Amino acid sequence: MNPLRRLIAGIRSLFRKDLDERELDDELRAYLEASTADKIKKGLSREEALRAARIELGSLDAVKEEIRDVGWESLVGAFLQDVRFATRTLRLSPGFTAFIILTLALGIGANTAIFSVINGVLLKPLDYDRSDRLVVLHGYAANFGQMSISYPNFSDWRLQNHVFEKVGVYNRGSYNLTGSGEAEQLRAAQMSADLFAALRVKPELGRIYTNDEDRPSAAPVIVLSYGLWQRRFAGDSSIIGRVVTLNDQSYVVIGVMPQEFLFPSGVEMWVPAGPLSDRDPWMRRGSHPGLTAVARLRDGVTLEEARQDMALVTAAIEKQYPDSNSGHTATMAPMLEESVRNIRRSLYVLAGAVAFVLLIACANAGSLMLGRVASRKKELALRTALGASRWRIVRQLLTESAVIAALAGALALVIARWGIGAILELIPAGTLPRARQIHLDWHVLVFTAALSIMAAIIFGLAPALRSSASSLDEALKETSRGTTSGRQWLRNGVVASEIGVTLVLLFGAGLMIRSFLRLQQVNPGFSTESTLSFAVSLPEQTYPDTAMDRRINFFNEVKSRIQVLPGVRGVGLSSGLPLGHNSSTWAFSIAGKPETSKQQPVMEYCVADAGYFETMRIPLLRGRWFNEEDNRSHVDSKSLQGKSRFELFMAGMRTIIIDEGFARRHFPNEDPVGKQIVLEGSLSLTIVGVVGRVNMEGLRDNSDLVQAYFPFLQVPNGAMVFTVRTQLPPENLIPSIRQQVRAVDPRQPIFDIRTLQQIREQLIAPERLNLTLLGVFAAIALVLALVGVFGVISWSVTQRTKEIGVRIALGAPGSEVLCLVFRQGTRVIGTGIGIGLVGAVLLTRLMTTMLFEVSPTDPLTFVSTVVLLVSVALLACWVPARRATKVDPIIVLRHN
Amino acid sequence: MDKLKQNTLVQGTLDMLILKTLALEPMHGYGIGARIEQVSKGVFKVNAGSLFPAFRRLERDGLIKGQWEVTENNRRAKRYSLTSQGRATLKRETRDWEIQTAAIARILQASLGEL
Repeated sequence: MNPLRRLIAGIRSLFRKDLDERELDDELRAYLEASTADKIKKGLSREEALRAARIELGSLDAVKEEIRDVGWESLVGAFLQDVRFATRTLRLSPGFTAFIILTLALGIGANTAIFSVINGVLLKPLDYDRSDRLVVLHGYAANFGQMSISYPNFSDWRLQNHVFEKVGVYNRGSYNLTGSGEAEQLRAAQMSADLFAALRVKPELGRIYTNDEDRPSAAPVIVLSYGLWQRRFAGDSSIIGRVVTLNDQSYVVIGVMPQEFLFPSGVEMWVPAGPLSDRDPWMRRGSHPGLTAVARLRDGVTLEEARQDMALVTAAIEKQYPDSNSGHTATMAPMLEESVRNIRRSLYVLAGAVAFVLLIACANAGSLMLGRVASRKKELALRTALGASRWRIVRQLLTESAVIAALAGALALVIARWGIGAILELIPAGTLPRARQIHLDWHVLVFTAALSIMAAIIFGLAPALRSSASSLDEALKETSRGTTSGRQWLRNGVVASEIGVTLVLLFGAGLMIRSFLRLQQVNPGFSTESTLSFAVSLPEQTYPDTAMDRRINFFNEVKSRIQVLPGVRGVGLSSGLPLGHNSSTWAFSIAGKPETSKQQPVMEYCVADAGYFETMRIPLLRGRWFNEEDNRSHVDSKSLQGKSRFELFMAGMRTIIIDEGFARRHFPNEDPVGKQIVLEGSLSLTIVGVVGRVNMEGLRDNSDLVQAYFPFLQVPNGAMVFTVRTQLPPENLIPSIRQQVRAVDPRQPIFDIRTLQQIREQLIAPERLNLTLLGVFAAIALVLALVGVFGVISWSVTQRTKEIGVRIALGAPGSEVLCLVFRQGTRVIGTGIGIGLVGAVLLTRLMTTMLFEVSPTDPLTFVSTVVLLVSVALLACWVPARRATKVDPIIVLRHN
Repeated sequence: MDKLKQNTLVQGTLDMLILKTLALEPMHGYGIGARIEQVSKGVFKVNAGSLFPAFRRLERDGLIKGQWEVTENNRRAKRYSLTSQGRATLKRETRDWEIQTAAIARILQASLGEL
């Protein structure tokens, strides 16, 4: 009537069980006495009265049981009793129990580990207030795809939109920090004040710069990251107001951000973006210097509305500036989605794979339980005979499953903990977004608990229901003879599906392996062998554009010093390395050739010297390398007074080297050497050489941009990358290189010190991770399937021992017995393979984007995984089949 | 004997009978059973197996209250009494019962008349 009252009464009685029992006894005794007294009054003798009263009362225990059953808490008692009984039963067969627990724990643990990753990376909201309102914007051009934003465009977006509460941009940059300790190159973000406001973050110390400090020619200020503040300034809180030297310019430290604020990832400090906006190249609308925008949507504005508004804004800008903005729009995506875009697909595939592993584990456990129930048939029948209801037996068996699942769940957490550690170890720093968010939290614990319960139901229910279905009479009569074919059918089916699922997993893993091998064999167009690279970025303040000779001298001096180090075979200079997504692009036309299409062709370019091609082993196909003649001696420095940075560079440019793709596309059937291409409508460059194509954008080279190189001596960039080919292990060179650079200019730090091999390895790290995980899952699945087949075949051999014995006694040769067993085995395996092939065709399509140059229905992979699985499964049949041939007919026959 | 088995008691009637009995005076467990048997002239013979679960149910729902006291021969016994909530429930159920039985009686008589 009153559920709450009943609940409370139940809980109370759970805690005063003994008292309740005593009171029950007292009450019943009083009842008995009263009843006896009543009967004596009616004229019975004392003994007769007592007897009659007892008979009337019936079984004292039955009455008590009925009274106890009034409260719901009696179910708890029964459950605990079931648990105790289950534990006792399971302890009787420790091997069986341990095996099932281990199987399930592997499945649940692997799922928990992967779920922790998904939870941390995909599901948890970003660490900002109302982070679902944050969006990331990029520029977009039909002929180019997604690109960075130009600052003038951003300024217009900011003014003209109606949908953003705040919008800001950031760009990654690096600065030389000098003074107080060794010179160091620091990664920084050039970021709008409004971006902090959009993220709604507060400083740990001091303040964030204001919009007034975020505009041209504002006094330079800087906000430090917590890490940098601790590392470089020992967490000194008097840092606020201090002046630090970055790129030989003074910046006032105004704030320190909290430890958990790490946006954009990897930066150690923030400077206002605004002061850069009236300088080259940011000031030019046609230049896209690497800006990305982050905005907070106004309350009530949907993503769709915001997109429509931005479409109007960009259309208006396009109309106003057709030269620079024709076809340019903006893309917008929720910030969380944006940060996990590249990893989402592979995480889901892994989650699917690991769910399969759990299914297999459940199938195995279920199949084992079925076998166990069959061997306990008599015990269960006896319990039924003693009055246990069908539901009671099912409950008992389900409790056993639940106990197993609970233990497996606990063990799974241990496995998951270890697994998460291993996964994090496998992930190279920076390749998995939000990796710091991955750990076992209560979400994961709930997930594991739910998974364990589900597992208990999946693997426990079928056996439990089956067990109670058989009739008592039949079960007691049946001796060790024969099998119920229905149950055999069920087990066969379970194992067949297990094989099917395993095939899907193996096939997925096989595709990953093939794809990985392909990726490793990719020839990126240059040699990564024993080459070290490092970067130097000369600050504008001391090495200005107006004194380019100073830069050339610095780099030449460093080069010649490194050249003579022992073991060094070549030194090169370039403005960027291949594979790194860090080239720039420029529109061009061919001299003497009319435009064929409306869109101007675009090239990717680098600045390089002759040594670069040599150390990188990029082949020269035609013409010549750059040489000492490709310099700026033709430039009249007086005419450059007051010119922009861009013009300063352009003034020096005369020659260019193009790649084979460039030559093929724009000079088909002619020799490009000596021909001219035109930049910015008027600057003609002479092609002096044609070199091999390199993969600029990563190993999966799907860019169709043509490539070109400008000579360093004509375009002496301040930020250059050295490549050093050596005979020694490249790492050994680092100290002496540091020393040589310091000798030339002690204030110039070197950074990004990596071997080309490391760069390459890091590129395939995500693939390696996918491959490893999928491989491990497939291996677990294979082992489980092996066990499953082995279990079901040996069980059936045991069941058919007598039949086999009779056959042998009647003269059947061993081969015939083998055949008998294998026939059953191949039927199961064949069905499984059939299921698996269908599943594989349906599911591996989802992996297309994860694969490199391998079709998701790759026949070689198909055949080899099927062969592997079939041979392993047949092996699992072999052992019980051999045992069948060893059956001694005499023993079997005598036994019966 | 036209003694009815307890399980032929209409569902829920036992609770009502216990409440009615206790409405007269607080009683011990056996006394309640005996009183019901006596008043019903032996038609309802309620055994302990249904009596005590009913007590526990009613007690949990707060309709009756049990109190331990010491009997003449120095034993503990539990005496049940009606709570105010129990009194209200009894009143309501009695009214419902009367309406129902009157209706059933009318139906039964009508059908008899037609026969």
